[in-house]
Amino acid sequence: MSAPLLEVRGLARRFGGVAALDDCSLTVRRSTVTGLIGPNGSGKTTLFNVVTGYLRADAGQILLEGRRVARPDPARLYRRGLCRTFQQPRVFADLSVLENLLIASGRRRAALAGPRVRADDRDRAEALLAEFSLAGLADDPAEELSYGQRKLLEFAALLMSSPSLVLLDEPTAGVNPTMVRTMERHIRARHAAGTAFLVVEHDMNLVMRLCDPVVVMAGGRVIAQGPPGDVQADPLVLDAYLGG
Amino acid sequence: MRTAAAIAALSALLAVFPFLATAPWVMTIALFTLMYAALASAWNLVGGYAGYPSLGHAAFFGLGAYTEALWFNHHGIGAGLTPFAVLPLVGLAVAAAGLPVAWIAMRTRADVFAIVTITLLFVAQTLAYNLRGITHGAQGVAMPVPDFAPATFERPFYYAMLALLVLALLLSHAVLRSRLGLALLAIRADEDKARGVGVPVGTAKLGAFALSVGITGMAGGVWAYYLSFIYPQFAVDPLVTVAMVLMVFLGGRGTLWGPVLGAFIVAPAQQYLAYQYGASQLYLLGYAALLVLVMLVLPRGVLPTLGDRYRSRQRRARTLRADVGTGVSADTGGDIAADVAGEQP
Ligand SMILES: Nc1ncnc2c1ncn2[C@@H]1O[C@H](COP(=O)(O)OP(=O)(O)O)[C@@H](O)[C@H]1O
Ligand SMILES: [Mg+2]
Repeated sequence: MSAPLLEVRGLARRFGGVAALDDCSLTVRRSTVTGLIGPNGSGKTTLFNVVTGYLRADAGQILLEGRRVARPDPARLYRRGLCRTFQQPRVFADLSVLENLLIASGRRRAALAGPRVRADDRDRAEALLAEFSLAGLADDPAEELSYGQRKLLEFAALLMSSPSLVLLDEPTAGVNPTMVRTMERHIRARHAAGTAFLVVEHDMNLVMRLCDPVVVMAGGRVIAQGPPGDVQADPLVLDAYLGG
Repeated sequence: MRTAAAIAALSALLAVFPFLATAPWVMTIALFTLMYAALASAWNLVGGYAGYPSLGHAAFFGLGAYTEALWFNHHGIGAGLTPFAVLPLVGLAVAAAGLPVAWIAMRTRADVFAIVTITLLFVAQTLAYNLRGITHGAQGVAMPVPDFAPATFERPFYYAMLALLVLALLLSHAVLRSRLGLALLAIRADEDKARGVGVPVGTAKLGAFALSVGITGMAGGVWAYYLSFIYPQFAVDPLVTVAMVLMVFLGGRGTLWGPVLGAFIVAPAQQYLAYQYGASQLYLLGYAALLVLVMLVLPRGVLPTLGDRYRSRQRRARTLRADVGTGVSADTGGDIAADVAGEQP
């Protein structure tokens, strides 16, 4: 059996007296949409930050396709196929929508000396913008987008690199029901095309129909995982939500 | 293409200027104006495009000045025009010296970066005073005065500064048209996010810094040869840094022409006042007042503000046309279209 896409073992991270991650271990297998749920403050975003190199772990290991990542660096991980969105969508406000995609094409250092827009990048970006129904806004500054559109743009830009694993931090929080369906449709389409996802999500209906398996965190560690139905029935999980 | 043509037109115009205005004091003002335009354009690469407000650039100006002067004295690079010929090497040397500095300083951001770089400036000044074996400390370093005809003495220096300005503009233009330019803008907007989409931020920042201080150092080299005598307090002068920053902020950060515009406004005024009323410290107050004024009235600088005005007027004109054409406000029509485009299931 081939190694899982992502495996974390015994991750720990403290902020002062708060143990945001505490012996946290989990696995994301190929071609899954793995759900990550848990009450607010249970360490989901911190896990994303540690895995993508934005925060150092105090302890623990991260393995990407079976290989240990000793010093995670966001840019290097991105070029290796691991990327993430932010809970508050982050786009380059004064770049155009198209440029937000172009800059995310994951090219190496040497490309900095090359042209601002490569023809192949542009083709890819335009195809993605069409896929995400953002083509009409290609030349507008990203700051003019609505909150939901920014979430879409942030997601679409990551796809410029043909990632193998995308971490989505609350992709549907704060957007209208239409946009929730749009987001779900795009996740499903990309999943069908072979991309794996780890999705932090509070909308339980969405988690139940989109994710398998589902991982539950509380207090910085994983307290349950399995098929969505089993997890939902797990008394530990109910406890965590009601107690937390 | 249009930009390249504009750069060519401007340099042609500036190239005939010495034949129109021949008074030495006018030429002096003109050559300092070109120097500041080149310096401001160079600063803009780091302070404007990348959003790293360096306050230490005068250290590299001084480094270029001392490199040129010491090279002249120790290796006899010859008189007349030959000291200009070594300027590219001075630029490369200063750019190379800038790399380790940037490597350390650009790990910090915003205010901390400003403090680190201004500290660098004072360290450089202290070194210039105290490495007497090399710089002769407060006594200064002399370069032989070139034997250019007194009536047109300023001309070679003027053209050297013009060449540096053209170089700065062409480099800035090339950066903007390269992926490096896009990377710098992304870094300025949100550096952490940029790392998260694979932008090699370290390399981009080092590249911009090296280009920027390389040009700055070459300007220092021309300046040293022009004055033919350099003292630490003038070679590494916080006011040079302040002037660069002020001009870029006035004209428009992160635009190609803003720094040139800012320099063409501030430098002649400052030079003229210094010429008329002596090099009093009064113009310090002038700088401070102007900087405050810019921050209050034109926080983004002249060119971006004009650009915004122009665009919003165009948009109004389009709206009007659309109104007439369809009877529906294009404003709301556009919004609905955008919502549908973004959110249709
Ligand atoms: N940068 C930080 N500084 C201090 N405390 C933090 C920081 N980031 C997260 N925390 C704390 O760590 C815990 C986990 O937070 P987080 O990972 O954001 O949880 P979740 O995403 O599951 O809601 C919370 O108690 C939060 O207050
Ligand atoms: Mg969170």
